[in-house]
Amino acid sequence: MKALVVDDSAVMRRVLIGSLASADITEVDQAADGVEAVKAVEGTEYGLILMDWNMPNMLGIDAVKAIRAAGHKVPIIMVTTEAEKSRVIDALKAGANNYIIKPFEPATIVEKIQDVLAKAGG
Amino acid sequence: MRVEYINPFIEAVYELFSTMLASKATRGEVGVVDASGSEGLYDIMGLIGLSGYARGMVALSFPAETAVAIVNTLLGTDSSTMDDTVSDAIAEVVNIVAGAAKAKFRAEGRPPIDLSLPTVVRGSSFSVNYPSHSIWIEVPFNSNLGGFTMRVTFESDEEEKE
Repeated sequence: MKALVVDDSAVMRRVLIGSLASADITEVDQAADGVEAVKAVEGTEYGLILMDWNMPNMLGIDAVKAIRAAGHKVPIIMVTTEAEKSRVIDALKAGANNYIIKPFEPATIVEKIQDVLAKAGG
Repeated sequence: MRVEYINPFIEAVYELFSTMLASKATRGEVGVVDASGSEGLYDIMGLIGLSGYARGMVALSFPAETAVAIVNTLLGTDSSTMDDTVSDAIAEVVNIVAGAAKAKFRAEGRPPIDLSLPTVVRGSSFSVNYPSHSIWIEVPFNSNLGGFTMRVTFESDEEEKE
């Protein structure tokens, strides 16, 4: 299974790739903003997307909406500093499957990844 | 700026260290500084602008050794150089601290604060041009990964009404 990590911070992408490896997911593509993410999803079938919210060019939430509007059912976890309840609700309404607030403990993100994949039947 | 406004930022630093950095940060004495120059700041600084209900800036300044130790802890690496990876990590660190502090203000029932994208400044010779009446609150920290300093300044709608 291939995952897509979307974050404008290269360091955060590396942190998240490490978390995915802890969940036994080692095949990972990277995108630095929402535009790159939408483009990547058009060309590749991913089993999971980890999506930041605040990025240049296109926000993560707008990328989630675009991915869902195009009919893709890939599980998406928002990984963001946006911790307000209203933001969480907005993300879930837009089509995100789960939500992780930065800062996070490494074990927490691995659990959420496994939880989302289990619910998606993966 | 009210001194108690610094508390959500301090808590955000504690959370970042205890979670993503598996370390403990402790603060020193909170002070007020003239932050127009780079005096008292370290080798690399991450800044984020605040707008909306609160307008100002939050800055985290690190000695090179602390910044490199943070990157090595985040990535599980053993590097000793101040490269672009370090700058990127410091940008993300200040982003996480500002984001967590913003959420804490919101949880206290205050209106939303917007954050700019982070900026990173390296080197020891620079000046931060900000309105001269601004009061900066400075908090020195120590941690398992080394020392660093946080500076915060902002004016809120609440203060203007007083």
